[in-house]
Amino acid sequence: MSVVSSSEISRPPIQRKGFSYDRLIRYFFASNAGLTIVILLLIIAFLLKEGLGFFPGYRRELEIYRITGMEFVDLSRTNLTSHEQLTSLLNRAYFAEINGQADRELKRSTEAAALVADIDDFTASVRDSYFSATEEAAPAAEVIARLKAQYAALLSLAIKDLPPSPHLTEEERKGIIDAMMQRPIDNEDTPEFVTKLAGEYATARQKFAAPLEEARTRIDAFEAAGSELNSLVGEMTSLVRVSKDALNKSDILERERKSLLAAAASAKDPATRERLQQEAKTALAEVPDIRETTEKVLAKKSQCSEAHQKLHQSITGLTAQLTFSYQQAESVKLQRAALAAMPAFLKELEAAPAKIEAWNAAEPVHLSAAIHSFLTGKSWVTGGEWQDFYGILPLLTGSLMIAIVALLIAIPVGIGAAIYTNQFASLREQKLIKPIIEFIQAIPSVVLGFIGIFILGEALRTLSTSPALAWFPGFPMDERLNIFTAGCLLALMSIPTIFSLAEDAINNVPAAYSEASEALGASKLQTTFRVVVPAAFSGILAAVLLGFGRVIGETMVVLLVAGNRIKIPDFSAGVGAFFQPAHTMTGIIAQELGEVPVGSVHYRALFVVGILLFAIVLGINATAHHFTRKMKH
Amino acid sequence: MNSAIQIEHLDFCYGAKQALFDVSMEIPALQVTALIGPSGCGKSTLLRCFNRINDRIAGARVTGGSIRIHDIDIMRPDIDLLELRRHVGMVFQKYNPFAKSIYENVAYSSRIAGIKDKARLDEIVESSLRDAALWDEVKDRVHDSAFGLSGGQQQRLCIARAIANRPEILLMDEPCAALDPLATLKIEELIQQLKKQFTIVIVTHNMAQASRCSDKTAFMYLGKLIEFDDTKKIFTNPREKQTEQYITGSFG
Ligand SMILES: Nc1ncnc2c1ncn2[C@@H]1O[C@H](COP(=O)(O)OP(=O)(O)OP(=O)(O)O)[C@@H](O)[C@H]1O
Ligand SMILES: [Mg+2]
Repeated sequence: MSVVSSSEISRPPIQRKGFSYDRLIRYFFASNAGLTIVILLLIIAFLLKEGLGFFPGYRRELEIYRITGMEFVDLSRTNLTSHEQLTSLLNRAYFAEINGQADRELKRSTEAAALVADIDDFTASVRDSYFSATEEAAPAAEVIARLKAQYAALLSLAIKDLPPSPHLTEEERKGIIDAMMQRPIDNEDTPEFVTKLAGEYATARQKFAAPLEEARTRIDAFEAAGSELNSLVGEMTSLVRVSKDALNKSDILERERKSLLAAAASAKDPATRERLQQEAKTALAEVPDIRETTEKVLAKKSQCSEAHQKLHQSITGLTAQLTFSYQQAESVKLQRAALAAMPAFLKELEAAPAKIEAWNAAEPVHLSAAIHSFLTGKSWVTGGEWQDFYGILPLLTGSLMIAIVALLIAIPVGIGAAIYTNQFASLREQKLIKPIIEFIQAIPSVVLGFIGIFILGEALRTLSTSPALAWFPGFPMDERLNIFTAGCLLALMSIPTIFSLAEDAINNVPAAYSEASEALGASKLQTTFRVVVPAAFSGILAAVLLGFGRVIGETMVVLLVAGNRIKIPDFSAGVGAFFQPAHTMTGIIAQELGEVPVGSVHYRALFVVGILLFAIVLGINATAHHFTRKMKH
Repeated sequence: MNSAIQIEHLDFCYGAKQALFDVSMEIPALQVTALIGPSGCGKSTLLRCFNRINDRIAGARVTGGSIRIHDIDIMRPDIDLLELRRHVGMVFQKYNPFAKSIYENVAYSSRIAGIKDKARLDEIVESSLRDAALWDEVKDRVHDSAFGLSGGQQQRLCIARAIANRPEILLMDEPCAALDPLATLKIEELIQQLKKQFTIVIVTHNMAQASRCSDKTAFMYLGKLIEFDDTKKIFTNPREKQTEQYITGSFG
């Protein structure tokens, strides 16, 4: 053993001089963390700056909506629209009945027509050339002969691949095809038999319409009852539109004037300032006087009330007579829908006169009204044809319903897979399952959207039309792209998130727990479900929440697959509501942001949606974080 | 004296690595048997053979000899493992109550055995906690989380949980290693009570503890059983030189 005395080792002095590498490296890493935080804060600041201007802007729009009397017109218009929808339902029921009864004739006629059209399409080009050739003074004989030969060749090609015609007999089909084959190139007539079938269809329609004559007249009466209100609304609409345009124009001018003044105030050169101020002065727009038109509109108050009362009266009288004993299922369904909507409509009509009388153009529109209208508005209407409305509810419900579907699928699958993989799978299975599930995350969402539209959407629709599933609410689905389809795909996207995080949570449960449980005589299954999974519960909850955040924030798939109909789904259909199309908060931003003028109210509205989305996801993540922290062993 | 566990020529391997070599001993019923020896000598391995909890470890297996309880070789393939473990309870070095209430921890083994009757469960919980000398300290808060107890209390809770099964044999792997001297003393007192009802096998690094609370002591070294005799004999007049060196601390 050798003893080294301390004096023999040379050590650097304790006090350090100059800069140190350690500190430099520390600053480098600190600045990285700092940078991300600064960027996040900048993003929030930007969102707020762009978004918060929305509410004053929207308030002004709503103010114009009121003082011009558009709001007043809409009191009547909503009822008119309901009336039109009811009329359309009744008419559809009526025609569905006739077409249903004349189904055989309709099908025979369409099938025959399809045969003819198919052959015509095939030979159209040659015939066109033929006709333009014969228009010349002296067409060359060999050209004519060549075209005729081509025509014959095309004809025999055309008949090789014709659409099926299950409602025509073999003979009839052959008759049509033969007639077409023998038809000379310059003859464009439809074969006689096909015309006859069309005639048969027309006769059948007439025949089946005859016993429904009463229905026809009553539906017509129902429709006619709305004509007075209709013309009133039309008159008022053109009046208020003028006021609205004038106000909008003056608003724009005013804004320009303000920016000129601002430019003048910041101009350094006195001459420029002078010039800008001058320009601003000339730009001073007159505030248009809209009082006169508003007065004119309001003068129709009593007329509107009366029209409503009359409509209410005549429809009350008609409703009892609007039940017809249709035989076609489709007609019965449509009629039932129309009759079911009738009481609510009547109630609206009854309430309308009081609303019309009470309406006051001078009532001020507060900022809170704009906020309220945004948060509780049931319609999101943009495009500026009449009045834009920015109501978040349809988008919020769309997003939430899609998320519900996605989570209902992804939670059991993701957690189940996590439990199996961690607790029961052999090492080899684990090595197989984990990367595969995590791989799903690597699929670009636009590719998933693709699959959603062409495979899943199509398959689900075909499935929903199968008669064995007709009892299911919402089946058959009307739309291929809907909430459920989008939810299925989003489930696929959130399964990896839920799976990985839940698997981590289960894996973090100390082995001592399961050892203790097994030492007490518990089976593997009991140990897993009574000890391990409960111990991992908060971690699993956090996994689900983060999956939820992923689903709410996803854009591409919902944009492609959700159907993008901005409307709150009809919950009277029960579970069927999930088979309707919807639009989402993410989807609307992606779809509309590119088209809106920067700085407009619409543009700012999209930012507010973005802020809301941001807040929701932030809230979800914070909650998940809370649960993860709780999971300490 | 009848024996609770009979071990004959036991060899044990973790994969290719042999951890026990030809161990033979008879553990007497209703007495405390202490296993001592330097770290890594195979005490835990031997203990964990008695309830076959080693089966959890992939590649771990008995390669020779036998362990018999009630004259049945517990290594036979037709042994009902769950039943064996109800028969042979275990307490671990680091107290490990479940993330449940005190009550649910003790009731756990009864619940998995299918007992649902509330009164019966109450009775089992109370008597087990009493036997583990914990009842008076926790009777007002049995439905609180087990994690609210002190370390010593948590370890006694684990003992209560183990004896709620009414096993015949209780295995303890360094049950006091994570506890302070006072809590250790309590557990030692408890062991003296428990040996009236249970056969106890305890692994310990604490020579004083072994001499205080065991009736028999086995000294192991490098996977072999060096000496096994009455505790008094081992600590006063050991037969082997290695044993003497180990207990006097002049080993190595
Ligand atoms: N799971 C395992 N896999 C492989 N080898 C193991 C495993 N567990 C223990 N061993 C080895 O078996 C031998 C005996 O280990 P064991 O844990 O039984 O010792 P011990 O006497 O309990 O030690 P300590 O006093 O430190 O607890 C050691 O050499 C150890 O490295
Ligand atoms: Mg050990």
